[in-house]
Amino acid sequence: MCCSNNITEKDLQPGIRDKSYLERIKGMQFFDPHIHMVSRTTDDYEAMVDAGIVAVIEPAFWVGQPRTGIDTFRDYYSSLIGWERFRASQFGIKHYCTIGLNSREANNEPLAEQVMELLPLFVYKEGVVGVGEIGFDDQTPAEEKYYRLQLELAKEAGLPVQIHTPHRDKKRGTTRSMDIAVEHGLDPGMVIVDHNNEETMKEVLDRGFWAGFTIYPFTKMGNERMADIVKQVGTERIMINSAADWGISDPLAVPKTAALMKDMGIREEDIRKVTYQNAMDAFAQSGQIDEADFTGVKNIDQNLKFGKNTVLRGGQQPRTDKSSIIIR
Amino acid sequence: MLTYQAEVLRTLISDVIQQNLNAGLWQWMNEKIAPVGDIRQFNIAFVSVPRKTGKNILRVTDEQNAAIREAGAGLDITSWTVDRLSRIWLVSSLHHKDEEKYFQTIENLFLSAEVNELVALYSALSVLHYPERWTKRCAEGIRSSIGAALNAVACNNPYPAAYLDEPAWNQMVLKAIFTDNPLDEIIGIDERANADLAKTLSDYAHERWAAGRFLNPLVWRCVGKFINTGIFPDIEKLAASGHAYNREAAALACRDSAYAPAQELLNKNPNMKSAIASGQLSWKALAEKMKNYVLQ
Repeated sequence: MCCSNNITEKDLQPGIRDKSYLERIKGMQFFDPHIHMVSRTTDDYEAMVDAGIVAVIEPAFWVGQPRTGIDTFRDYYSSLIGWERFRASQFGIKHYCTIGLNSREANNEPLAEQVMELLPLFVYKEGVVGVGEIGFDDQTPAEEKYYRLQLELAKEAGLPVQIHTPHRDKKRGTTRSMDIAVEHGLDPGMVIVDHNNEETMKEVLDRGFWAGFTIYPFTKMGNERMADIVKQVGTERIMINSAADWGISDPLAVPKTAALMKDMGIREEDIRKVTYQNAMDAFAQSGQIDEADFTGVKNIDQNLKFGKNTVLRGGQQPRTDKSSIIIR
Repeated sequence: MLTYQAEVLRTLISDVIQQNLNAGLWQWMNEKIAPVGDIRQFNIAFVSVPRKTGKNILRVTDEQNAAIREAGAGLDITSWTVDRLSRIWLVSSLHHKDEEKYFQTIENLFLSAEVNELVALYSALSVLHYPERWTKRCAEGIRSSIGAALNAVACNNPYPAAYLDEPAWNQMVLKAIFTDNPLDEIIGIDERANADLAKTLSDYAHERWAAGRFLNPLVWRCVGKFINTGIFPDIEKLAASGHAYNREAAALACRDSAYAPAQELLNKNPNMKSAIASGQLSWKALAEKMKNYVLQ
C-alpha cells in the first residue's frame, strides 16, 4: 500500500512506456510468489504472461477495508481458489494461493474466532501452498494469539507459512515472528518471511528462514537496492515478489527486476534462483506444486490455439489490439 | 423428459471407483461416509481427495462404460479422473436418511468449492439423493462464469435434461452457445428442443448477423423442428450462405422440419439430401468439423 510521500510536479507527469527490457529477459520464466490479483485487471494478466510470468501465489490479505462478517471471508477465500484461479488460467498462468487470517483483522476477535473455524475447510484444498499471509501488523495480543493458532494449523496440515512483517517497528516485529515460529516447533525451512529489507535480512537468513523481498515503490524495496543485495549476499533462500495489490504497485516487478539484474551484470542462473527457483522450492514443500503444471498449461495453450481465434477455443482469451482506437 | 437411472448409476460408479483405488483408500472413503461419522471429517475428506487418490484418468472397462452410458442417458465418464469420481462417490454415498442434513452438507461443499471441486459436484448432480432439490443449484451452475464449472453442468450431464424446467433448460443451452461449449455433448439437446428456444435462437442469429459476427451453424440443430413462417427466412438465408457449413446446417434443419417449404428447399438440393440419407452429413459430423474450424 502507498504512503504519504512528498509529491512534486515531476512525480505527476506521465511516464514513458519503454518495453525494451522485455527483449533482455526473453525466454526466461518467472514465478511471483506474492501478488494480490484480486485487485488487478485482466490487462495485468496479459502483460504478465508477455513478460514471462508462468505462475503466481496469491496470499489471502486485507482487502483495503475491514470485513464485517464470516460470509465475506468465505467468499473471499472461495474467490482465491475459484474465480481467480480461472481468470489466471485464461492467460495460461498457474495460480496458487496461501490461506490465512491477516493480522489486521485478527484484531476483530469475535470474527477471528469464526474465521479460525472456517480455515480448515480451505487449507487442505488443491493448489493451496501455504498458510498466509499471517503475522503482525500492530503487534497486539490478539494478533499474536491468531498468529500462534495459525502456525499450529500449518503444522497440522504440513504446509509452509508465509509471514507478513509489519511496516511499523519492523525489525522487532520480524524477530518476534521468527521467535514464535521456532517456539511452535516449525522448521525455519518451512517458513517464508516476507517484505525484508537490508535491516532485517541478515537475521532471517542466518536463522535458516526463507527471505522474501517485495519490490514495491515508495514503501518497500526498490529493485536497484535488490540487485545490490544479490550481488553482496548471493541467492540462497532469497526470493523476489511484487506484492502488487490495490496500491501503487507493479505486477511486473519480478520480470523488471530480472532485467535490471541482467543489466547490472548478475548471471542468468542467479537471476533464475531469486525470480523462480527458490520460491518454487520453498512452496513446493506443500506438495501442491508440480512444475509440470507450467509446461502443462503451456501445452494446453498450444493445443487450443488452432488459430488466432477459434470457435470452441476452450476458455482462452483472445487478444485485442490495445493501440487501436477501433474496438470490435 | 429424458430420464436416467440414478440407483443403477450409483452402483456402477461404486464398482468403478472401488477398482481404481487400493484397499486402504477404499476403506478410508467408506469410513468417511459412515452414518455416525462427523461432518467435519467428511468435509476434510472431500477436500483432500486428490492428495489421497492422485489425478490419473480412470480405468473403466468397455462393459462398465456401456452400462454407464445406458443408465446415464449417454453419460460418458471415460475421460474423468480418479479424484473427480471419488468425490462424486463420496457425495452420492453419504448417509442420506435425514434429508435436511444431507442437503445442507452438500450445499456447504458447493459454497466453499474450488474449481475442481465444483466440477465434481456439478458432475454429481445426477447421483445425488433428493434430485428435485438440486434444480436451483443446477441453475446457479449455469450462471457460473468459470468455464470448467459451466461445462460440467451443461455437457455430458444427464441431470439438466431430466429435471430443469423449460426456461432454465433454454438458459443453459443459450449459455453453452455463448461460451462455445460443444452442443453435441449436451445430453438431451434434441429431445428438449422447443419452440421458445427456437425463437430466441432466431433472434440471436439476427443480432450476430447485424454485428457482422460469426454464428456457430450448430445452433440450428435446436431450431429445425420448429421452423415456421417466422423462422423460415433465416433458413433460406443460411442455405444461400457462402459458407459450406451454413448450407449444411440449413439442409439438416430442413431435414428435421415438417414445414412444407423447408422440405421443398431441401428437395432443391439433391446432393445434400443424399449426403444426409447416406449418413455422411449429420449434426454429429458437422460438430466434428466445427471442432477443428478456424475463424478466418
